[in-house]
Amino acid sequence: MSARRIGVYICYCGGNISDYVDCEKVRNAIAGEEGVVVAKTTMFACSDASQQEIIEDIQQQKLDGMVVASCSPTLHLFTFRGVANRAGLNPYLYVQVNLREQCSWAHTDVPAQATEKAVHLVRAGIAKARLTESLDKIRIDTVPRALVVGGGIAGLRAALALSDLGISVFVAEKSEKVGGWVAEMGRMYPHERRGSDLIAKLVEEIGARENIKVFTHAELTAKSGSVGDFSVQLSVADQTIPLNVGTIVVTTGFGSYEPAPGEFGYGTEGVLTLPEFKRLLDESKGPLVYRGKPVNSIVYVYCVGSRGSSKKEKPNTYCSRYCCNAAMHASSVAHDLSPSLHQFHLFRDIRTYGKYELLYEEARSKGAVFLKFDEQQPPEVEKVDGHFRVQLKDQLTFGDEIQIESDLVVLVTGMEARADKSLNDVLKLPLGLDNFFKEIHPKLRPVETVIDGVFIAGAAQAPRNSAESVASALAATAKSAALLKKGYVELEPLVAVVDTEACTWCSECVCTCPYAAIEKVTAGSKEVAQINSALCKGCGCCVPACPKGALGVKGYTDRQIRAMIDAMGASHE
Amino acid sequence: MALVNPSFLQEVKASKEFNATACMNCGVCSAVCPLEIDLLPRKLFRYVLLGLEDKVLENTPVIYQCLLCKMCEANCTADVNIAENIRFLRSYIGRKLYKL
Ligand SMILES: Cc1cc2nc3c(=O)[nH]c(=O)nc-3n(C[C@H](O)[C@H](O)[C@H](O)COP(=O)(O)OP(=O)(O)OC[C@H]3O[C@@H](n4cnc5c(N)ncnc54)[C@H](O)[C@@H]3O)c2cc1C
Ligand code: SF4
Ligand code: SF4
Ligand code: SF4
Ligand code: SF4
Repeated sequence: MSARRIGVYICYCGGNISDYVDCEKVRNAIAGEEGVVVAKTTMFACSDASQQEIIEDIQQQKLDGMVVASCSPTLHLFTFRGVANRAGLNPYLYVQVNLREQCSWAHTDVPAQATEKAVHLVRAGIAKARLTESLDKIRIDTVPRALVVGGGIAGLRAALALSDLGISVFVAEKSEKVGGWVAEMGRMYPHERRGSDLIAKLVEEIGARENIKVFTHAELTAKSGSVGDFSVQLSVADQTIPLNVGTIVVTTGFGSYEPAPGEFGYGTEGVLTLPEFKRLLDESKGPLVYRGKPVNSIVYVYCVGSRGSSKKEKPNTYCSRYCCNAAMHASSVAHDLSPSLHQFHLFRDIRTYGKYELLYEEARSKGAVFLKFDEQQPPEVEKVDGHFRVQLKDQLTFGDEIQIESDLVVLVTGMEARADKSLNDVLKLPLGLDNFFKEIHPKLRPVETVIDGVFIAGAAQAPRNSAESVASALAATAKSAALLKKGYVELEPLVAVVDTEACTWCSECVCTCPYAAIEKVTAGSKEVAQINSALCKGCGCCVPACPKGALGVKGYTDRQIRAMIDAMGASHE
Repeated sequence: MALVNPSFLQEVKASKEFNATACMNCGVCSAVCPLEIDLLPRKLFRYVLLGLEDKVLENTPVIYQCLLCKMCEANCTADVNIAENIRFLRSYIGRKLYKL
C-alpha cells in the first residue's frame, strides 16, 4: 500500500468537460485507487471557493499529493501550484491532468469513450503523484553588471539606460569605433537630425558615466555560467579580459544586402546600393554630382535583396521594412539638393507603414513619380552611351511598356543578418529562418531568448529603423534590470540529474543538450557528467542518449513515466 | 514602348496649374464622364506624370473631345483640378503640335 495521501479533484469546467465526460463516473472509478484519500468533483476547480476547499482538504486531511483533472497546464498549472503553496504543500507534489483539451473537446462525438479515456488519464496522474517528491526552486544570486555586445545606436542607448538604473555596463564593440551604421549618417528620418550628431551625443554622455566601460576592437570569445552570474571573456586587441556579469544584451546589428554582379546592373558605374546613395547624399553640399557628372535623373528599384528578389542562391524572403521609408526620405533629400531632379521609383508595393506615410507624401509632393512592376517581370537595366535605359511594364499605366533614361540607378537594398559565426559559437542563440536572432515569443517575450539572461535588441533581431531598435534596446534594458535589481533569480527545479554511480563519462549526452548544460567534473576518483542546473531547461533530450541510464529529469523520472504507462494500460473492469 | 521625355516633364513640373500629381488613379472621373471616354483623365494624367509626351500627343483628339463639364472634378476625391489640367494640355498641344 502507498503511504501517500492524495486528493483528486475532477473539474466540470462549467460544462466544457462535463457535457461530454461523465465526471461523476470518473470520480467513482478512481476513488479507490491506491493512496487516494479525497476524490471530489467540482464545477470550477479554479474558482476561489474550490481553491479554498482544496486548501482545507490539504490541511485537514494532511494530504501529501494533489491531482486536479481539468484543463491544460498551460492555463492553470501555476494556479494550482499556488493553491498547494498556500496550503503548505510543496507545489511540486501537484500533478495536473488535462481532461478538457484531451478528452471532452477532442472527442465530442463519442462521450462514452471520452469518459473512459479520462479515467485512464486520471489514473496515470495519480500514479505519477504517488512518486512525486518535494522540490525547491533553484536560487542564484545575481551580479549587478551587464555586458552589451555591439555598440550601435541600440547598444549605446541600452548602456546608458542600464547605467541610469545603477547597473555597471561593459560595452564590447568589434570595430574601431562605436555608433554602428547611424554614426556614418547625415539627415535621417523622421526627425531630420544627423545620425552622426545623435551618436556623438550618446558617446559624450557615456564618457561622463563612471559605471560604463567601452571596449573597441573587442569580441566576445567565451561565456560560461548562467543567468545572473555569467563569466565571459573579451578579446580586446591582443589582450584577454575576463568579466563577470549578470546579463548580456546582444545588439550586433545588421549587414546590408550586396547584390550579385549584374543584378539590375550592379557592378556598372552609376548603379548604387541604398547605403552608397545615402553616402553620396550626405557628402553633397549642392546639386548632385556623381563622378564629376551632374545628376539629372534617378531610377530607384525597390525590394532588391528582399521579398524573394535576388540573383543569389538563397534569396531573403522577408520584407526589410526600413527600405521603402529610407528610399522615400533619400528622394526628398535629393530633391532638396537638386530641385530640378527627375526621380522615378519602381516599386512592388509601398510599405511606408504608420506615420512614415508622411515620407511617401513628401516625396510625392516633391515630384517623385511611382511606377509599379510585377515581381515576375522585374525592370531591365541597361547602360547605353553613358546613360541608363530602364524598361518596365508599369501596372499603374495599365501595363504599358515604359522606357526611362537616367543618370543613376539606386538599388533599394534590404537588411541582412550579420554572418558572425564566431559570436554565435559562443552565445549559441537560436536564429530564425531569416538568420536574425530569434526571440522566445514575438508578442509576449520579444527581447528574451531561450538562454536565460541573454537578451537581443535592435537590428540584430530583425530589420528595424533606429527608433524601433532603440525601443527594443530599452525593453531589453528593462528585462535585464528586473533580473539584476532583485539580487537573485529563482529557476524551475525540474532539471536533469546524473546518477554519478552509473555515469562513466562516455560524453554521449554532451552534444544532445541544446543549452550546453552538461559539463565534465571529477567526482572522487572518476570523471562524470554534471548538469549545470541553472542552464538546464529539463527538456529531456539527454536522457535517452545515455547508454548507462544514468540520466533523469526531476519531476519526470523514468519511474514516474513507467508508473503512468502501467496505470494507463491497466484493466480495472 | 513609351519613352519618358524629360523636357516635357520639366514643363509639366514648372506649371502652376497642373496638379495631377495628387491623382491616385482611382478612376471615379472615368466612371462619371458623360462622354464615356475611357482615357480621360485617369490614364491621361498617368501619361503626363510620367512624361510620356508621345502618348499625350497621340491622344490629342480625345483631349479636345472633353466638354469641360467638370462632372469629374466635382467627384474627384483628390481635389485634382481636372478641367484646368485639360486646359493646360490643350495649350501645350497648341504650342507643340500646331505651333500656335
Ligand atoms: C541606407 C540606410 C539608411 C537608413 N536610414 C535610416 C533613417 O533615416 N532613420 C532610421 O531610423 N533608420 C535608418 N536606417 C536604419 C538604421 O541604420 C538601423 O536601424 C540602426 O543602425 C540599427 O542600430 P543597431 O544598433 O541595432 O545596429 P548597427 O547600427 O548595425 O550597430 C551594430 C554594432 O554592433 C557592432 N558589432 C557587430 N558584430 C559585433 C560583434 N560580434 N561583437 C561586437 N560588436 C559587434 C557593429 O560594429 C556595430 O557598431 C537606415 C539604414 C540604412 C542601411
Ligand atoms: S520596405 Fe519596401 S522596399 Fe523594403 S523590402 Fe519592404 S516593400 Fe520592399
Ligand atoms: S551519456 Fe550517461 S554515462 Fe555518458 S557522460 Fe552522459 S550521463 Fe555519463
Ligand atoms: S534535460 Fe535538456 S537542457 Fe537539461 S541537460 Fe538534458 S538536454 Fe540539456
Ligand atoms: S477622380 Fe481624381 S483621383 Fe480619381 S483618377 Fe480621376 S483625377 Fe485621379
